Amino acid sequence: MINFDEELEKFQPSPEIEQAEDVINNNDLTDISDILKELLKEKIGN
Amino acid sequence: MICPNCNSNISDKRKRCDRCGVDLTIYKKILHASNQYYNHGLERAKVRDLSGAIIALRNSLQLNKYNTHARNLLGLIYFEMGETVAALSEWVISKHFQPDNNDAEEYINRVQSSPTKLENQNQAIKRYNTALNYARQQSDDLAIIQLKKVLSLNPHFIRAYHLLALLYMKNGENDKARKTLLKASKIDVTNNTTLRYMKELEIPVAAKDIDSGMETEKSATSSIMPISSYKEDKPNIMAFVNLVVGVIIGIAVTAFLVVPSIKKRQNMNENSDYVDYSSGLALQEEKDRTIEELQKNNNELQEKIDELQTQIDSMMDVEDDTLVYDPLFDAVQYYMSEMEKTNKNDRDLMGIAEKLAAVDESKLESEVSTALLNRLREEVYPTAAQQHYDRGHDMYSDAQYEDALVEFEKSMTYDPTDVDPVYFTARAYHRLGDNEKASLYYNLVLSDYPDSKRVKNAKEFLKQVSDSNE
Repeated sequence: MINFDEELEKFQPSPEIEQAEDVINNNDLTDISDILKELLKEKIGN
Repeated sequence: MICPNCNSNISDKRKRCDRCGVDLTIYKKILHASNQYYNHGLERAKVRDLSGAIIALRNSLQLNKYNTHARNLLGLIYFEMGETVAALSEWVISKHFQPDNNDAEEYINRVQSSPTKLENQNQAIKRYNTALNYARQQSDDLAIIQLKKVLSLNPHFIRAYHLLALLYMKNGENDKARKTLLKASKIDVTNNTTLRYMKELEIPVAAKDIDSGMETEKSATSSIMPISSYKEDKPNIMAFVNLVVGVIIGIAVTAFLVVPSIKKRQNMNENSDYVDYSSGLALQEEKDRTIEELQKNNNELQEKIDELQTQIDSMMDVEDDTLVYDPLFDAVQYYMSEMEKTNKNDRDLMGIAEKLAAVDESKLESEVSTALLNRLREEVYPTAAQQHYDRGHDMYSDAQYEDALVEFEKSMTYDPTDVDPVYFTARAYHRLGDNEKASLYYNLVLSDYPDSKRVKNAKEFLKQVSDSNE
């Protein structure tokens, strides 16, 4: 059975077009390559 | 390939960077894995497994954020699911990582080139947010109304379908919820939310899959024309039968519809001809009657004309009647000739008066003639009357009573206002012994001239006459 309130909580407001800039800026663009670089830097640093 | 350490261009076949010497084996594996996820995402997108495609593409981008193809495809999938902002953000980021030779630029331009469509999608997002608020405030009806509007603005907005289906299900409108979920499943066949709700409504997922499969198959093969198996043509008797039936129907239609109308038209024409002829005859008769009446009127008028002409002819032109105007002309001529006499005493006024008295005034038609006559009489009569009275008085004095009576009579004619000729007429008759006439004239004096000087004498003589009669 579906709990409507719980299901309703899962729905989030959709960002409007005026908010696209914020969405882009808040986008996390870290990929594994970046993580590997960090690991390598730390390794080299140590 | 770009070295992740020093960002230098290196050959794909190299295992180490020529510049910084970093080991590229793992980096290459990561790139490979990213591309594999991209391929998986593409396959899933082709069969409309958009949710699966999103997972694969996100994995691809988590491994390699520079994977432009994956990011662009992810943007496309977001756009197909109605997530316009998410799509634009992926394309913008894609363009940021690869400014040149990037399909994302074209996608962004296409979206921005239609401001109306973009505005509709923005309105859809706003109304979706409004509907979500209504739903959280338990205003399900308002939320449903808003969501319907959202879906009309953006028919690909899957989250709106989900929310609408949820609200229908909450209100017990399962049929509407089913329809809504089926629409959503056409966009994204493996959407987790759609499948869960459909399971709740006991919509067989397998049957739905089969249906969708059949639909896809149908769509795939719809362009192919089915070819029936080859059959030889049998001799078609039905065609001949149809022909005969058609001929019979045609004859029947002609007999029952066309012929009567033709006959009717003919009858109408004949009737109209008859009517024309009859009306023509009637017209002719009326003309004859009119002519006859006019002829009659003409005859009557002619008779009247003749009658009037007769009257006219019978009427004597008094102007031309010598019996009427000759005495007048004669009197005028005589008057003029007498007036020419310079000595007034030589003028025969009594003669003129006599001639004037001979004119029958009643027969004079002309006013001028009448006026002339009266004028002459006015001028001549008083003097003539006096002259006759004087002559008569002289005769009376000479005992010529009978001659005197003639003169007195003329005097009275010319001047009826003078009492003397009347009085002496009575005296003359008295002298002659004609008491009756004497009484008459005495009474005349008394009656017509009551204020005259002769009244007293007339009374006395009248008394004498009366006494002598007794």
